[in-house]
Amino acid sequence: MKRLQAIAEGISRGGAIVGGAMLLLAAVTICIDIVLRYAFSLTVGGADELSGYALAIASAWGFSAALLSRSHIRIDTVYVRVTKRARATLDLVSLAAFVFFAALVAWHAWGVLRQSYVSGSHSLSAIEMPLVVPQTLWFAGLAFFVAVALLLLARALFAYLKGDLDKLFELIGSKSAVAEAEEEIIAVERAFDSERKQ
Amino acid sequence: MTAAVSLIVLLVVLGSSIAVAAGMGLVGQILNQLYSPMPLTRMLGELTWSTTTNFILTAIPFYIMFGEILLRSGIAERMYNALVQWLSWLPGGLMHSNIGSCALFGSVSGSSVATAATIGVVAIGEIDKHNYNERLFLGTLAAGGTLGILIPPSINMIIYGVMTDTSVPKLYLAGFIPGFILTLLFSLTVLIACLWKPHWGGEKIPTSWQARIRTLPDLVPPLALLMIVIGAIFFGIATATESAAVGIIGALAITAWRRRLSLTMLRDVCEATVRTTAMVVAILVGAFFLNVVIQTIGLTQQLGKLITAYQLTPVQVLTAVIVLYLVLGTFMEELSMMISTIPITTPLILQAGYDPVWFGILLVLLIQTAMVTPPFGINIFVIHGIRGRGTLADVEKGSAPFVVALLLMIGLICVFPDIAMWLPRIVG
Repeated sequence: MKRLQAIAEGISRGGAIVGGAMLLLAAVTICIDIVLRYAFSLTVGGADELSGYALAIASAWGFSAALLSRSHIRIDTVYVRVTKRARATLDLVSLAAFVFFAALVAWHAWGVLRQSYVSGSHSLSAIEMPLVVPQTLWFAGLAFFVAVALLLLARALFAYLKGDLDKLFELIGSKSAVAEAEEEIIAVERAFDSERKQ
Repeated sequence: MTAAVSLIVLLVVLGSSIAVAAGMGLVGQILNQLYSPMPLTRMLGELTWSTTTNFILTAIPFYIMFGEILLRSGIAERMYNALVQWLSWLPGGLMHSNIGSCALFGSVSGSSVATAATIGVVAIGEIDKHNYNERLFLGTLAAGGTLGILIPPSINMIIYGVMTDTSVPKLYLAGFIPGFILTLLFSLTVLIACLWKPHWGGEKIPTSWQARIRTLPDLVPPLALLMIVIGAIFFGIATATESAAVGIIGALAITAWRRRLSLTMLRDVCEATVRTTAMVVAILVGAFFLNVVIQTIGLTQQLGKLITAYQLTPVQVLTAVIVLYLVLGTFMEELSMMISTIPITTPLILQAGYDPVWFGILLVLLIQTAMVTPPFGINIFVIHGIRGRGTLADVEKGSAPFVVALLLMIGLICVFPDIAMWLPRIVG
């Protein structure tokens, strides 16, 4: 299961990078669109639509990356004030709730995708995008998220039953806000360090 | 009755440390089972798709990406050193440069955490070098950082705009003057403190007009980006999303000019952007679902009736909402607090006859206050983390005078709504 998670981490990291690249590309497209509009009075259209797809796909794939790095926000006012065992239980309940809601979303997303496929829907715009294309990528990201969440839940449950609570916290524990802040700072410092070296 | 049950369910679920995104979805599902005449869950697929392809919301990842690039472009350090030359002659010295840098960085960045972290890392070494009062110095950074979401652009204003159907450009226009006044109030706080206790203000930093002139080129990149990102919106050339996209290209150009553009850098930017975006979008999906459920089961009307029944005046409703945010803001994470409460508070405020643009600015000020009030204030954590010594209480105490300034600003905007509304009225 450990190897499975390593693979999942690789895929979700790749998904995040590709998603980010799509967003960057969308930004470039929008700029070209603006230049054409003001310099040559040309309206090409579609840039706004494409960036919408980029956001949907990038965030669907980003959900799992955020879950694996424990970045999803949780209110830990109670969490930090209870026993270790209770904290571990709360972690399991939290992840189970996430699996439930994510599965619900993915299931109904599948319905949306199927509907687009059956009726052959195209977007109501100049580019007439067949909706199946972006929606497939979007749904794949959501489905992958559910799979990753299930894998984590299985591993955490296993650790819980074995009594290895530290392992469980490492997998799905709530990061304290202080730890979150520290990560932000490390990112900033790393950026400045690379500057000083030059 | 429904209202009470809903509120209790929401508090219990979010309080039990369930991830906020899943928690709101779960509460939506529970309320749907209990009260809704039809199964709303079926809309979840369509709702998620339409929310996440919303063009206005695309501005969120764009601003996040913009910030990630800016961070790696090296403009912050030069900008800070330039402002040291221009502002440190005031009693309080570098603390004014801290606030000025935060305001300037905030006018290109849409996030308070990013603003506090960036300026904080640049400035923190100066405390020992020039013998400043550490607490007050830390306070200027934690509080100054919050300007990131008041001075446009602002990720929080975009979220508010989309959730309440309010014009984002109008919100930006409305945030401008309050942002300027609050910057002055923060500086005034430092000034008063240092006139009272001059030794808090550290040692003088040598400045000269020649040095000042020499630093001017370092202020060009942030000012140019500010002109592009904000100017384009103010003059109606581009929408908020479009201007954010132009900002990304501008920031990339500066990074390339400073010879810092590389594939590794771009890869890091992409990964970090998507991770943060996903976290925000997940909460939004949960909130939009909850919003639909709340509207369908008539929760807002019920609260509205309650207000009529008790014959509450608009001022009483407003006071209640402000107190609610001040209380929630002490212990709740700020982004989740904002998103989970907007569907309930905004209709009440609008029903009481207040303007949605004005309330958006008030809400941002309340969120800023929440960011520097313990026990949970994200900017306090950030600045404490950068400092790497001492206790959280130092930053909390240092921020306290600025919380007073924030409360004063909240009072000002309630008494003189035109501070916010004047600019959108004459431009719009």
